[in-house]
Amino acid sequence: MTEYLVRRLLQSVLVIFLITVATFLLIHAAPGGPTQVMLAPGLSPEAMAQQKENMGLDQPLPVQYIKWVGNLLQGDLGYTFKNHIPVGDLLWPRMMNTLILMGVAWFVALVIAIPWGIYNSTREYGLSDQTSSFISYLGFAMPSFWFGILLQQYLSLGLDWFPLSDMHSRGKDGEIGDLFMHLVLPVSVLALGFLASYMKYARASMLEVLDQDYIRTARAKGVKERKVVFRHALRNALIPIITVIGLDLPILVSGAVLTENVFNWPGMGRFYVENALAREYSVLMAITIVTAVIVIIGNLLADILYAVVDPRVRLGGKGGKAA
Amino acid sequence: MSDMKAETTAGMGTDPLVTAPFGLPPESYDPTSAKLSKRPPGPWRMLWSKFSRNPYAMTGLVVLVFFVVMALLAPWISKYDPSRIDMMFPNLKPGVDGHLLGTDELGRDIFTRLLYSARISLLIGFSVALASVIIGSIVGAISGYFGGWIDTIFMRFVDVMYSVPTLFLNILVLAIFSSEIKYMIMILALTSWMSIARLVRGNFLQLREMQYVEAARAIGVSSWGIIFRHLLRNASFPIIVNATLMVGSAILSESALSFLGLGIQSPATSWGVMLSNAQEFMLVDKLQAVYPGLCILLVVLAVNFIGDGIRDALDPRQGMSKTRRRLKQWQKNYSKSGN
Repeated sequence: MTEYLVRRLLQSVLVIFLITVATFLLIHAAPGGPTQVMLAPGLSPEAMAQQKENMGLDQPLPVQYIKWVGNLLQGDLGYTFKNHIPVGDLLWPRMMNTLILMGVAWFVALVIAIPWGIYNSTREYGLSDQTSSFISYLGFAMPSFWFGILLQQYLSLGLDWFPLSDMHSRGKDGEIGDLFMHLVLPVSVLALGFLASYMKYARASMLEVLDQDYIRTARAKGVKERKVVFRHALRNALIPIITVIGLDLPILVSGAVLTENVFNWPGMGRFYVENALAREYSVLMAITIVTAVIVIIGNLLADILYAVVDPRVRLGGKGGKAA
Repeated sequence: MSDMKAETTAGMGTDPLVTAPFGLPPESYDPTSAKLSKRPPGPWRMLWSKFSRNPYAMTGLVVLVFFVVMALLAPWISKYDPSRIDMMFPNLKPGVDGHLLGTDELGRDIFTRLLYSARISLLIGFSVALASVIIGSIVGAISGYFGGWIDTIFMRFVDVMYSVPTLFLNILVLAIFSSEIKYMIMILALTSWMSIARLVRGNFLQLREMQYVEAARAIGVSSWGIIFRHLLRNASFPIIVNATLMVGSAILSESALSFLGLGIQSPATSWGVMLSNAQEFMLVDKLQAVYPGLCILLVVLAVNFIGDGIRDALDPRQGMSKTRRRLKQWQKNYSKSGN
């Protein structure tokens, strides 16, 4: 177990290193590079050189890279080119907003998807199963932003049930009821996406377990069907479900780009797109690194979680994962 | 199938009462020669015969073909120019003045724009799938065939690519380089080849142990010859399934990026561009947002149905397990007598 964890940890560090290098090179491979955007146009060559020197852009790339990574390690994400505001100050509150939105959507999806998927596995090809597979198909094939626009048009503009966009109504910052009303539409959009995959996983995982011999044995012994499903099957079926959910954790921070843009939600995704359109490279670099780190930590956690719930992995038994 | 039918008809031929309505088989009919001249159905034929019996897959195929034909024939179907602004007639209702679906806020014909958008979306969808297949097959093939440290490095790299937040990377690249179609295809392909690489590698690990590979090696076929002539061909069906599904996700990604303003740029048009436009003018015209989204939904659904259909047709177990489960279901519901 320890050896496994150490190996995974080292791998993660290597991956993060590679991602920083790639991001850095990408930005500097841009036509004109960061210089063109950072420096005010129309400067005299001397002033340009002066400013370059101030920003450290005249130094060779490896030196710049090491400085940048050194700052990152100290929690300094750099400054915006335009107003010279620390990127971190802008980033963290937005990350919180995204976390609120995605956390709620994720929770809603889980609460619906897992029980429904389990129920469907016991009544295959029934009405409920067909309905859920229809929903899954929609969730996979429908552009989420289109669904969002439709909700805005018909439930917000048409029926005026929910506010059109933003996180708070004007002057109502921090009121829970107001926040809730603003959450409904974007959460429905995001939850549908989650639902589509979770329901499928829950169902498939349960079906696989229900087909096992020990389930037949339990039934043959006369164990009640309820007990077979919940005690014998569910416990084993949950292992792959937990892994999938764990792998999804980083999406809580990064996954709402489109929905946030549709509903004007002041989160990470919209912030990222705004800065991409403005070519604000320092912000883009910071967000890319932060999300990549979160994704990798998430994957690591998912692996650990998997090891915790599955004794076969934890003990590194002879049977191994394949068994 | 057709042999059996022919034989039964021939057998029935002895009874005059039955023959009358069906007619006698032709004089020259000879069952043995018919059997000999017929080659066993090839893998494509078998695939098609199963595929064509799947109603979802066939519907998907019809819808996709419809969209492809509409996209290809766009200039002949509509007399309007998709980017021509006509401020005299903005926001026309559907059907007015020969504008099938009306016009948008700049007086551009919506139906024409849908047609030309289909061109871009389908072009990107298919090119991304093709490019990913090429990249993924090469990486997977090398990884699976040679194994060893090459395999380790390649697969770690695939892991790394998987852990990169794709949409963020796409946005970053399109922001840095301009958002021309070729860059878009490139970056979408570069962030979606991994599943194919894993698939091809897995297949190669199995296939390279086959005896025909050993035989090929024995007669001196080079490694590349074996990879391309023997292995890749045998792995082609699962690749096709994966590639089909990839067309759908590429179309979704394209529309998402265009919606965000980082993909296709005006005056060119795509369904994503139209949607972002429609959101801006939501108060003026509600239906404008419906059409492009519906197009995306239909095409992606169609492609997914086709992919699933091919997968089901390829999987010999699929039909059986379904039948078995249905049988179980049936027994549960109807066999109350206790057998």
